Amino acid sequence: MNREELDNKLSEIRNKLTGIEHTTDKRIYLLCESENAYDVCKFLFEEVGTRFVIASGVDAEKRFEVLYHFAYDSLGAVITVKASIRNHENPAIESIAPFLPGAEWIEREIHDLLGIEITNHPNMKRLILADDWPEGVYPLRKEMDAKLADGWRCKTSSRPPVRPASGRKVPLGKPVLPVGPFHPLQEEMEFFQLTVDGEIVTDIDMRISYNHRGMEKISESLQFDQVPYLVSRICGICSASHPLAYVQAVEEIAGIEPPERALYVRTIINELERIHSHLLWVGLAGHFIGYDTVFMWAWKYREPVLDLLEEITGNRNNYGNVKVGGCREDIPDELIPKLLKELDKLENKTEMLTKAVLDDPVLHARLKGIGILKNKDAIDYAVTGPTARGSDVPIDVRRDDPYAAYGLLDWKVITQPEGDVFAKAVVRLLETLESIKIVREALQKLPKGPVTVEVKEIPPGEGCGHAEAPRGETFHYVRSDGGNRPVRHKMRAPSFVNVPSFRASCIGGHIADVTLTLASVDPCYSCTERLAVVDGRGKVVHDYDVLLRMSREKTAQIQKDLGWPGLKLEDPEIG
Amino acid sequence: MSWKIKALKKSPWVFHVNTGACNNCDIEIVNCLTPKFDVERLGIKLVGSPRHADALLVTGVVTAQAAPRLREVYRQTPKPCAVFCIGACACATGIFNSGYHVVGPVDKIIRELDPNAIIAYVPGCPPKPEAIISGVVQALSAI
Repeated sequence: MNREELDNKLSEIRNKLTGIEHTTDKRIYLLCESENAYDVCKFLFEEVGTRFVIASGVDAEKRFEVLYHFAYDSLGAVITVKASIRNHENPAIESIAPFLPGAEWIEREIHDLLGIEITNHPNMKRLILADDWPEGVYPLRKEMDAKLADGWRCKTSSRPPVRPASGRKVPLGKPVLPVGPFHPLQEEMEFFQLTVDGEIVTDIDMRISYNHRGMEKISESLQFDQVPYLVSRICGICSASHPLAYVQAVEEIAGIEPPERALYVRTIINELERIHSHLLWVGLAGHFIGYDTVFMWAWKYREPVLDLLEEITGNRNNYGNVKVGGCREDIPDELIPKLLKELDKLENKTEMLTKAVLDDPVLHARLKGIGILKNKDAIDYAVTGPTARGSDVPIDVRRDDPYAAYGLLDWKVITQPEGDVFAKAVVRLLETLESIKIVREALQKLPKGPVTVEVKEIPPGEGCGHAEAPRGETFHYVRSDGGNRPVRHKMRAPSFVNVPSFRASCIGGHIADVTLTLASVDPCYSCTERLAVVDGRGKVVHDYDVLLRMSREKTAQIQKDLGWPGLKLEDPEIG
Repeated sequence: MSWKIKALKKSPWVFHVNTGACNNCDIEIVNCLTPKFDVERLGIKLVGSPRHADALLVTGVVTAQAAPRLREVYRQTPKPCAVFCIGACACATGIFNSGYHVVGPVDKIIRELDPNAIIAYVPGCPPKPEAIISGVVQALSAI
């Protein structure tokens, strides 16, 4: 569908709308009343074939607004359904989760944070706020501002938590496998509750909130120029893509065009981030199946990338380099030969690692057919990034809605049709090589000139910015009232849509494969340590070590069946 | 208690607790274990249970949901147990100070439970692996 056909298609639903607005060529706002939001969203998802991105609730003083953002990837357009709820006393809106499972979490979040009643929701339980959070206190409502300014904070009870609360009810007598919330290897807290039948996982539920820091509210108290420092700390490994998405949203509001050199510098930093993030994931995946050599090697090869980033931006992570109107720091021209040399070395090592993984019959046997996310599920759960591309959903913001310098460089989107863990590993490894190419080309083509333009004021308006982070699309929606702070700032990290897809990929699999399947989407909380299998009466049968051992024994068994002596890799530095 | 302190300082086994961090500090901690820094050669080992831990490496601001769990993890450790606050968030909640879901910092939660707890601070956003190693060495030699 081209743009004209899209407009014609959208006019079919015109009678349900109160207005259509275009802020730019690629941003369409459909205004409607809350009663019609369900029909409009259903039309967009099922008839137009858009991908659900996220919804954001806004407290607009006398009424509430719920904004459903949909992406039309073949045009790179973002279509936003702006539903307004006139009743500020008892706000309510109908759930879109029955036909769009990817919206289940965000509707629970809107209910938690804004107190908007979501009618007909399949699983309305607390998601984002703590178990101890008082009922009836909604942090994103404007009336909370005064309360928070007085120093109001949630009080936590000092009693020991018995078991982390989760949403879905478990039938009595069914064995349950709680996963989390702490795991010592790395990353954040997260709680999963698996219901198992023997070795087979029959249901899965999740509880988040452990990591909820309330950034959307904090952002409203910061100036436009301070927010990038906050959003780079959403996730340490995506600390280049989040600020970039935010900055693009603000630049859209103010109509700012950053200079060309800044676009290249942004591209280089974002791609270096992707390289180190993908290598990190390959290492962890190796660890989970008992190939600790892969873990150590991948992380060793990752170190020089962090050193390069430190040389360019001054920090190994949290670069703080992007700002509204350009970049803070330039890449000095004398550094370019060194960067190119390091990239060559890195390319050799990554190619070696890729070959070792793709040619290993044990990894083929261990990873193929495990944790399959079907193409249809990938679309329904609205997953993004390598998780989607591994299931043959060819979406990539870098190509669909080109930002920074991606439209000016030559590279390709990697997809795999199978949807299993192996496909996701292949996507990530090949993408790493592709990223090295992008960085090299960008360094060679780096134009001369300044890296920043002067920015005076941010006018009233709203903007959507998105960028392709290593894990998928980061999406930021910013609304300005002409002051020096955002009045609403919605942030969506890729894991927020990728994690719920476990319901589609884990159910029906073996317990020994769960750690790997959970890790295969590279969640920002790859909760795989400190799990325990508990039987129906709450007695611990297996702890985490046993589960990790089971995963590794399965690998060993496959090795034995294949008559394979073990992993053999040649280190170019030693050899 | 002195022989216990002496034993604590040899080959400390550490348990890693994330209480609402952005991942950076956590990854830098794991980085300490990988070939470039490799603290296992010094006897520092990441363990899977707080009951085996001589020290807790705590990262993050301590969110309302994480606070009861942090207390529980600290209760489960054998005493004496050193608590290391890794990163600006764990030391003083950093940029998230005004967050409604933040009840930290770490030392406040631990001191409520055990006023005499051994607490050390490694600031930085994130602290480099060198800084984490140096912080652990300095703190252990100061005990």
